[in-house]
Amino acid sequence: MTEPAYPAVTRRGFLKTGALAAAAPLLADVPLASAQSPTRNVNKVHDFQTSADVAKAEQEGEIVYYGHDGEQGIATLLDAFRKDFPKIKTSYVRLQTGALYAKITAERSAGRFGVDVLQLSDISPAIDFQKKGGWEQYMSPEYAAYKPEYQSTPAGYYGLPGVSFSGISYNRTKVKPEQAPKTWKDINNPAFKDGISAKLATSGMQHAQWYILRKMYGNDFWQEFAKQRPKGFDARAQLFDRLAKGEDRVCALAEYAGYTLYQDKGAEIEFVAPPEGMPAIAIYIGVVNKAPHPEAAKLFVDWALSRRGQLVYQNQKILLYGSLRPDAGPMPTGKRLADFKLLFPTDWTDYVASHPVFVKEWNSIMGL
Amino acid sequence: MLVGGLAAVLVLYPIAYLVQASLSVGDPQARPPEAYGLDNYAGLGRYAHIFGNTLLVAALATALAVVVGFTMGWILSRTNVPGRAAFEQLMALPYYVTPLMGALAWALIASPSSGFVNQIWRALGGDGHLVDINTPWGIAWVMALFEGSVAFVMIGAVMKSMDPAMEEASQVLGAGRARTMLRITLPLVLPGVLGAAVFVFAEMLGSFSAALVLGLPNRFYVVTTAMYQLVSQYPPRFPTAAAMGVSLFAVMFAMVWIYRRIVSAGTYVTITGKAFRPRAMDVGSMRWPFLGVCVAYLTVAVILPVLTVTYASFQHLTSAFPRAANFTLVNYQTALALDAVRSALGNSLLLGLATASVGVLLMGFLSWLIYRSRLPGAGVIEYLVMFPQAVPRLVFAFGMLWAWLIFPIPIYGTLWLLLIAYLTVFLPLGLRTISGVILQIDRSLEESAQMCGATWGYRLRTVTMPLLKPGLIAAWLLLFIASVRELGASILLMGPKAKVITPAIVESWFSTSTELTAAMALLQTLAVVAALVLLFAVARRAVQQGGE
Repeated sequence: MTEPAYPAVTRRGFLKTGALAAAAPLLADVPLASAQSPTRNVNKVHDFQTSADVAKAEQEGEIVYYGHDGEQGIATLLDAFRKDFPKIKTSYVRLQTGALYAKITAERSAGRFGVDVLQLSDISPAIDFQKKGGWEQYMSPEYAAYKPEYQSTPAGYYGLPGVSFSGISYNRTKVKPEQAPKTWKDINNPAFKDGISAKLATSGMQHAQWYILRKMYGNDFWQEFAKQRPKGFDARAQLFDRLAKGEDRVCALAEYAGYTLYQDKGAEIEFVAPPEGMPAIAIYIGVVNKAPHPEAAKLFVDWALSRRGQLVYQNQKILLYGSLRPDAGPMPTGKRLADFKLLFPTDWTDYVASHPVFVKEWNSIMGL
Repeated sequence: MLVGGLAAVLVLYPIAYLVQASLSVGDPQARPPEAYGLDNYAGLGRYAHIFGNTLLVAALATALAVVVGFTMGWILSRTNVPGRAAFEQLMALPYYVTPLMGALAWALIASPSSGFVNQIWRALGGDGHLVDINTPWGIAWVMALFEGSVAFVMIGAVMKSMDPAMEEASQVLGAGRARTMLRITLPLVLPGVLGAAVFVFAEMLGSFSAALVLGLPNRFYVVTTAMYQLVSQYPPRFPTAAAMGVSLFAVMFAMVWIYRRIVSAGTYVTITGKAFRPRAMDVGSMRWPFLGVCVAYLTVAVILPVLTVTYASFQHLTSAFPRAANFTLVNYQTALALDAVRSALGNSLLLGLATASVGVLLMGFLSWLIYRSRLPGAGVIEYLVMFPQAVPRLVFAFGMLWAWLIFPIPIYGTLWLLLIAYLTVFLPLGLRTISGVILQIDRSLEESAQMCGATWGYRLRTVTMPLLKPGLIAAWLLLFIASVRELGASILLMGPKAKVITPAIVESWFSTSTELTAAMALLQTLAVVAALVLLFAVARRAVQQGGE
């Protein structure tokens, strides 16, 4: 891996701006009453704290989880929870964030409330869900381990169980050393025309990358990128699968988690952390309002945000989300989030407002 | 009337929601729509290239599938090619291979950089690539092989029900084999061929997996892959996707209209009161080239893809050149540990059984209603039941999602909803397969039985059903396999406790690796084959015991 040539910088942008706290204006129309949350007893289970009634949760005996991660990732997460709470069965629905959010909102608008826990990979639907009263406000005792900016506004609607980030990756056998990309501007090198890939999705990480690099290099940056005739794919696994097999020479949105998986397989690929920094996004988890198994849902969210759950989110390579908990320890690669220069959007109102422009431009860039 | 009404409800209820969504011009996520208009249709012009791509690959794939289906159907039904019976059984195999597995296999074989053929080509000193599967031709090739194999089953069922006396008369009068095939066989099986062509074309319009796996690497979108992106993105653009889907109705109506015009213009009866025994023509030394055609087809459609996927499923990172360190069992360990494989596979097989059994009854009765009853409006029912074929199942699933979500009986999220969905989306498949045979049966046979005093039920049991048997068996098989490998409708309609296998495999392709996906697809195929072998063994035993 090519390391940045300067001391590692932390999540400065994120912290400086108060990150999610800056999303408060977006939630101006959320009822004030919802800012208050009933106080509940806190119990210790295993090595984490919960305000859920564990006996009742076990009596409920089930959790229905809706998530965006891959089948294998969700199975890993739920299996780990089931090991800790064998009396609670788990089931799940997995879809990409857009389709997942459409499904849950359609179900709720029809009066069907079958979901306990929801995890999303984009702040826009998370905020929209909050506006629609979709999250239950639950003050997980584990929030105490997170800075206020890593919580919803007001607190208690959702938490941030992890962070994902992206650099550039290339195939060593297809890109000569002197041509290897070093900065973000290098993804527009004409040598990579017809041989560069990115994500087709118009949410999450790809939106963050588009927004941050557009701010950094101007509106023309992505128009230049369009001339490369990039190939779009839905998930990081596809991007790295193709990169590893030499179908693409460079991946312009190379998630670190995907890189480590394919590096372990022996793929001849390199990861570049550009000196400008790497676009990053958080994922969002919360208890769903009118959940059929409310206590089990709370227990799960507490577990997910606890150090115990974070070890799964961070250490299982199929997930590999960097933890925002200070006590989380390093990732399996030996790195901590603080070892990378991560770039988060600094103006969340502007970020969310930019989404329609992004969708239009990105679809056009990808030939859709 | 009741069955016709039921079919109409199954189809029209979700379509009403789909049309409503296509006219929504307010917030694309709002249900019901905030405002109505035609803006979504007016905006389709910007997707003209995608419609063009779709029609191109659908036409190429249909032509290929029908030519292959007819050729293979003729060779195996009407000639004395060696190993005919065995080949006939083997011909169903491409249909067992899911389109995703076929597309994955051909991507591994013929991708420009990592395709095995091209790796070997470069290792031998070649430059660049020898073949490229990521082209419209490549997509059409894979679609025809794995989704067009239904054409063989449909055409073959018709050919089997054809009295060979006419072909023999032609030959006695001096016509050669080729002339007999073109002037006698082809016109007689025309309804079956046309039915298959209409059906396959519609199937190709809604094809998803091949275009997804092979089209995206070349920025080549068809309607289904574009719609998939539109509804998967945030915010999902349902109205645009629904308008794209609904606009395909026009294409389908045109196809059904053409089919009905041709069918009503002539008579295609080959099964009359005169007894006949299907006999194969002696094609002399041409038997061996025909055998070569059969072997070649099975090689590209089954042997090569299955071997490729099997090889990939035991690899960490697939390469044409094996290395001991690259072999692993981890993909199978992971696949078998996933709930998606264990419970979902069981659910898929159960649903396949239920859909095929209920479907054959429902669709058999509908076919009789449309082509045999003198019920007013029977023709309208045919148009109605072809609707699901006109719109890609992924979009149709949204109509069903909205429709069944608010349905007062709580079937949403259960296997019951998937059963209803499968019966709805596979109405055209069952109807086309069975009606191709019904059209060949002379009404006079039933009328003779009626004149002899046979009741309606007795006529059905002793005359119509035995003659329909090949069509019914073909329909059952097709429905079973189509259900087990169904993707588009299942993605959105399956609930957390009612999962099926194919969406999990596609999802695996998105989010894990080609190798794990290969293992899952292979397990699915093996399970389908095992289930069918078991079913046939049980059925054969039951028949033998009944005869004793």
